[in-house]
Amino acid sequence: MTVVKLDEHRGLALCADAEGARHTVEIALVEPLRAGAVILVHAGTAIAALAAEEAEVRA
Amino acid sequence: MKYVDEYRDADLGRALSGEILSLVEPGRHYKVMEVCGGHTHSIYKYGVDDLLPANVELVHGPGCPVCVIPMGRVDDGIALAHEEGVIFTCFGDMMRVPGSNGSLLEARAAGADIRMVYSPLDALRIAKENPDREVVFFAIGFETTAPSTALTLKRARAEGVTNFSCMCSHVTIVPPLRALLESPDLRLDGFIGPGHVSTVVGARPFEFIPADYGKPVAVAGFEPLDILQAIVMILRQLAEGRCEVENQYKRVVPYEGNTRALEVMAEVFELRPHFEWRGLGFISHSGLKLSEAYGDLDAERRFSVPGVRVADPKACQCGEVLKGVIKPWECKVFGTACTPERPIGTCMVSSEGACAAYYNYGRFAREREVV
Repeated sequence: MTVVKLDEHRGLALCADAEGARHTVEIALVEPLRAGAVILVHAGTAIAALAAEEAEVRA
Repeated sequence: MKYVDEYRDADLGRALSGEILSLVEPGRHYKVMEVCGGHTHSIYKYGVDDLLPANVELVHGPGCPVCVIPMGRVDDGIALAHEEGVIFTCFGDMMRVPGSNGSLLEARAAGADIRMVYSPLDALRIAKENPDREVVFFAIGFETTAPSTALTLKRARAEGVTNFSCMCSHVTIVPPLRALLESPDLRLDGFIGPGHVSTVVGARPFEFIPADYGKPVAVAGFEPLDILQAIVMILRQLAEGRCEVENQYKRVVPYEGNTRALEVMAEVFELRPHFEWRGLGFISHSGLKLSEAYGDLDAERRFSVPGVRVADPKACQCGEVLKGVIKPWECKVFGTACTPERPIGTCMVSSEGACAAYYNYGRFAREREVV
């Protein structure tokens, strides 16, 4: 999923999946993130951020 | 590579398939176990097994979180769901898993307030919206899902939500692998390591497989080329007489895993002395429960749970399928009495279950023709 907007105060991010649907994702395990980062989400929690060079191309 | 279709490129797939053919010794039979149910699903969705020579066999492992939940645990969940004032929440797959007296879906039809959620955070939201009700989250899954539950429990504590609790049935991947390696009825040549579990635990916990049992491991991603490349890595190790843990899925799996996730899990969970797995029996230190510090959020302490052990139905051979001893289509009830619409065993429930993967992607028809 791609991060659309960050809510750093609550440790959450609004993310878009491949179809464009929006999800609220817990990001405590992969912070710091920036908008446009590509993350691997499992059960509503980001467990990994894709390596920067891979993410950059898709952002 | 930048885009997902590149991981599904037919020409590259054929090249890898040729490489596999060049690495195998004729006359030797290779058995490679894909540990994770996600791999099983990809293999049958993309027909990866059709690209392998006849003497390279993929054996399905125990890594499907829904499949390994024993019947007694489903019964416990249903008992909790029927408690006065309880809203019981769980993942969608779990709703259809048969207990000894029906599934959670049937319990809902009988009047229990059971709701499907996509993440534990959704369950916490339901708790906040219903302060006069007790909300229980049925937590299942391997180390991929456990950090999500752990963070949600920390959040519940931080936000002072007191009507939320967790029935923890999280499991860990290493103890069942060790049990399989100790099992006399299964001879394996190598393992395709679970990709997403490894994003959390890293590649390090699998070092015991080459060190203690002399089998190669390749941690792999979930696209068809990922899986083919992992098979190449394993066969090359065997051909060169090497034996180590290789990481094919470097784009998301660091060797050390996600240390923050491991810290959160260590804070919120502790190991159970033993946990029952469907078909595999009791395995020591293979399940998680809430730690003392989070004991007040443990649904099994807040409510009384029957905790009765229930034997699997006689006709069901999920245990043998989960151990890779038989193929799904060799089960007596596969595709006849047991289908994804009316599953008898857990392997037919989840899309990660080997039986459902076989059934849904037409392997049912092909295998029956062979017989």
